[in-house]
Amino acid sequence: MGKFANRFVRKSIRLAALLVALCALSFWLVSISPIDPVQAYVGADAMLVSPDQRARIAEYWGLNEPPVERFARWFSAIAQGDLGTSMIYRQPVADVIAERFAASLALMGVAWTLSGMFGFALGVLAGYRRGTWIDRAVKWYSLTLASTPTFWLGLLLLIVFSVWLGLFPVGLETPAGVLAEDVTWAERVHHLILPALTLSILGVASIALHTRQKLIDVLESDYVLFARARGESEWDILRRHGLRNIALPAVTLQFASFSELFGGAVLAEQVFSYPGLGRATVQAGLRGDVPLLLGAVIFSALFVFAGNLIADLLYRVIDPRIRVGRVT
Amino acid sequence: MNETDALTLPRPRATMVPGLNRRRLTLLVIAVSMFVLAGIVVGGQLIADIRIDTHLELRNQAPSIQHPFGTDWLGRDMLTRTLRGLTTSLVVGVLAASLSALIALALGAAAATLGDAADTAISWLVDLFMSVPHLVALILISFAAGGGAKGVVIGVVLTHWPSLTRVVRAEIMSLRSSEFVQASRRLGRSRSWVARRHLLPHVIPQFIVGLILLFPHAILHEAAVTFLGFGLPPHKPSIGIILSEAMMHLSAGRWWLTLLPGLALLVIVRTFDILGDNIRALIDPRTAHE
Amino acid sequence: MTSRITRFLALFTALTLALSLITGCSQAKTDEATDAPGAVRDDLVLAIGGENESGYDPIIGWGRYGNPLFQSTLLKRDDGLNVVNDLATGYEVSDDGLTWTVSIRDDVLFHDGEPLTAGDVAFTFQTAKESGSVVDLGILASAKATDDTTVVFTLTEPRSTFLYQMVATGIVPEHAWGPEYAKNPIGSGPYRFVQWNQGQQLIVEANPQYHGGTPDIRRITFLFMDEDAAFAAAKAGEADVVSVPASFATQEVPGMRLAAVPSIDNRGIMFPFVPDEDKTTKDGYSIGNDVTADIAIRRAINIAVDRDALVEGVLEGFGSPAYSVSDNMPWWNPEVVFEDGDIETAKELLAAAGWKDESGDGILEKNGLEARFTLVYPASDLIRQSLALATSDQVRAIGIEMVPEGKSWDDIQTLMHSNAVLFGWGSHDPLEMYNLYSSMYAGVDWWNTGFYANPQVDEYMNEALATTDDEAANELWKKAQWDGTTGFSAKGDAPWAWLVNLDHCYFIAEGLDTGTQRIQPHGHGWPITANITDWRWK
Repeated sequence: MGKFANRFVRKSIRLAALLVALCALSFWLVSISPIDPVQAYVGADAMLVSPDQRARIAEYWGLNEPPVERFARWFSAIAQGDLGTSMIYRQPVADVIAERFAASLALMGVAWTLSGMFGFALGVLAGYRRGTWIDRAVKWYSLTLASTPTFWLGLLLLIVFSVWLGLFPVGLETPAGVLAEDVTWAERVHHLILPALTLSILGVASIALHTRQKLIDVLESDYVLFARARGESEWDILRRHGLRNIALPAVTLQFASFSELFGGAVLAEQVFSYPGLGRATVQAGLRGDVPLLLGAVIFSALFVFAGNLIADLLYRVIDPRIRVGRVT
Repeated sequence: MNETDALTLPRPRATMVPGLNRRRLTLLVIAVSMFVLAGIVVGGQLIADIRIDTHLELRNQAPSIQHPFGTDWLGRDMLTRTLRGLTTSLVVGVLAASLSALIALALGAAAATLGDAADTAISWLVDLFMSVPHLVALILISFAAGGGAKGVVIGVVLTHWPSLTRVVRAEIMSLRSSEFVQASRRLGRSRSWVARRHLLPHVIPQFIVGLILLFPHAILHEAAVTFLGFGLPPHKPSIGIILSEAMMHLSAGRWWLTLLPGLALLVIVRTFDILGDNIRALIDPRTAHE
Repeated sequence: MTSRITRFLALFTALTLALSLITGCSQAKTDEATDAPGAVRDDLVLAIGGENESGYDPIIGWGRYGNPLFQSTLLKRDDGLNVVNDLATGYEVSDDGLTWTVSIRDDVLFHDGEPLTAGDVAFTFQTAKESGSVVDLGILASAKATDDTTVVFTLTEPRSTFLYQMVATGIVPEHAWGPEYAKNPIGSGPYRFVQWNQGQQLIVEANPQYHGGTPDIRRITFLFMDEDAAFAAAKAGEADVVSVPASFATQEVPGMRLAAVPSIDNRGIMFPFVPDEDKTTKDGYSIGNDVTADIAIRRAINIAVDRDALVEGVLEGFGSPAYSVSDNMPWWNPEVVFEDGDIETAKELLAAAGWKDESGDGILEKNGLEARFTLVYPASDLIRQSLALATSDQVRAIGIEMVPEGKSWDDIQTLMHSNAVLFGWGSHDPLEMYNLYSSMYAGVDWWNTGFYANPQVDEYMNEALATTDDEAANELWKKAQWDGTTGFSAKGDAPWAWLVNLDHCYFIAEGLDTGTQRIQPHGHGWPITANITDWRWK
């Protein structure tokens, strides 16, 4: 266990170093942007805003200071947990992220679970029936999905379920005319279904292919041959040897896929106007909300890292024999 | 799909067709894929500009013989727009993926050959660039570049090299510890001789496969980031633009604006995928003799 | 060993449950039905855009286009756009045009119950002038309350359009105005502010003490959403009035009727008027364009463009051809209308000016200069994009190539002095016309970005401003457009090619009476609510 703690500490230091570098890199990137945050912020109402007002906005956001000073100020603030104030939401960035991420988490959680279960089931089915039409169908389906643009699939679902069948709302963040705090649980779920479905359909691909391959490897291994020779039934072999050896890699892969999951959520939220962190990130980028954009970048990195850390720990805690290093 | 897996996982092989052996079938698939890709680029250029002009009297037409993909709200032929858009996607995707692959080759080789310090530094850099979801990184980089095609290309270049770097590094590492390289070294061959005669010939095929499999990712990311409004400007032909415009016409029931261009993009991406897999099958020493 | 798998699955499930609980619990709230069955509704849900990001403070520009809603103004317009009293009971202008004396009502209360006095009026104008914001009160020397019901405005020079400042400026309470005012406005208008969730919705309630009588509609929710989403909300019956772009107006929505309200919300192409002589603005943006500086080019484009086709094709018929910035306003000169879509005349005009296609590529040249220039439009605006693309294709027929480029407002600001730009204007105040065409405003803000200048036009317009007589002023404005020999209209210098006036399209719930709708100005704010006190459910 000492070794484990040691590793944990090393990982944490590494994360801290990465985060600091990421902050510096991101800050440098936004500071070289030719997009004038004031203009981006004022947007289409540009004609109604006077130079004076612009100057006031610029001063308010500290845009007139030299970049290094701004970075020092910003970094010492975020080190204390203060991510600044979002320009477009006029709330502390931390609050915006917390609120938006709760919505995204619901979306990603559902999609992650569904795609994990279905992907695993499909992978097992394909691997178990290797070479049959089921296998080919699953393969074809997975590879095709891996090439499918998330946002396009989302649009198709919108056309079918919202426009043609009228079952779901077309891109309304919350039900019209209802205060944000009065929205019911059922209404939220209603708004969640299509984006979650989009993400889960696409998330199935990698887990299914991965599981299929692992199962095939296992079923072709010496010990399964031995088990067959002993006269165990195919079902018993699958249950005792197959699933046991492929479930862990599958769960690990799911945790390691947080990066893709988040990226998919950005697109799905945009298509369905779902009020999550992904949409907020897009808005921040489009409208030059620098504090929020930086906050979202750092937070998404933390999210990805958390997934990788869990995947890593799962590997070590449950099956120490497995070689480390495959999972990133 | 997790990119590292896309590059390293063994893919299911094409199934047998009577009368063709595996190698021939693979070659056939490669030829067909390349033909499809070339056809799109050439077709997009051959179609006259006039079809992409506005024809207000022909607006919002569902697919027909004259306009197989229908027309948009300005009466522009959607097939032409789609083909032109795919060409843009191909150019941007191939350019960005190639630049990205060159970085990967250089850094992967450096990590594998320049000693522990370089290896640590480069793997740290890989971690840094993989720590943020691609799409978020793309948004940040596009913002930094002030939008436009430049931003997309830089963004895709900067986000796609890490996975291939790992592949290159791992490949060189395993070659270096292989017996014939060890033998060469003991025979007193210089580093550069070993690199030229042993490492490169083995790494290049892997690298090419990795490069081709980067294309679909680059193309999808170009479309995604353009769709979100960070990429190409709206008058440029691009699938991302077409689909984000289509979003404004969903409620009006103009399904063809969404369905067909997206399907075309899917076909392109899938074609690259198949191409990459089959080239891998052809040149990968582990499967080439099957 | 099987128990491990069970444990994984249990972990999977537990995680999922935990996720849904974490996110679910914090959000679970009950939904209370507010509508009693059978009762006539007195609430309203509007999805008509118009969210003002910088808040609702008239001092920094709120309500200048359209109607401030929360605040009252000294004067207002009736349904026929005639100027009538609101807070004012009357006004007098001194003979030299420098002193405006306004008497106001003594029975008006702010939403917080405090009385509205002449002091508040003076405070509003004085503060607006000093804030140096979009409210252009540069000619105001002072605003003073001489007693509780009398305000005296002293101008530095005579200005006929000061009248419209009194229509456009909402009066704020001196005692409750401050930096936070924009987010929590208090006024004396028909509705008072309740809640604003930025980017989502704004809720207002009827002001029971409103001096124009308590409105029938008690509560209004403004929803802020994308056009497609707003249209979807209309179809789902979730909003009672929905503004939609013309491309949606051809659709049927059950339970709603379409109202296409004419407007002077126009779109047109601004041409740089001066040639490129390597000059730059003080911000370093280059000025001038050699192609558009040629009057033949500007006139030919004006003549060649088929405005009816644009109205039909881009606006689905919901609009009208535009020939000036102020079609059908009292100061509009009807003589500026001309025959358009006339390719032949346009070609002759170009040929006579020396433009020839020497290279045979379909694009004209003159002294080695190709008739090619960039037409910049805001990339985020679909109608402007469509207009840019369609007009570019139309003028190619006369050998002029306009290359449409979608840009952000940010970029447009750097390009607008040296490239043609697709702008939109349209105001109930002739001052806008002055700002767009006066050489005084060349290169100032977003006004005369093409550096148009014509001494004769300047003279007419300065005279129009200086006169104290409304009618005389209108005649001078007309002369500035076209006096028979020169002017800023397409017949004269043609610094713009005006294209279309949009109809503002709304889907309105059956059973909602929205009174008589007026010709609306350029779309900011909520012009449709200008007569909100007349609205009722039947």
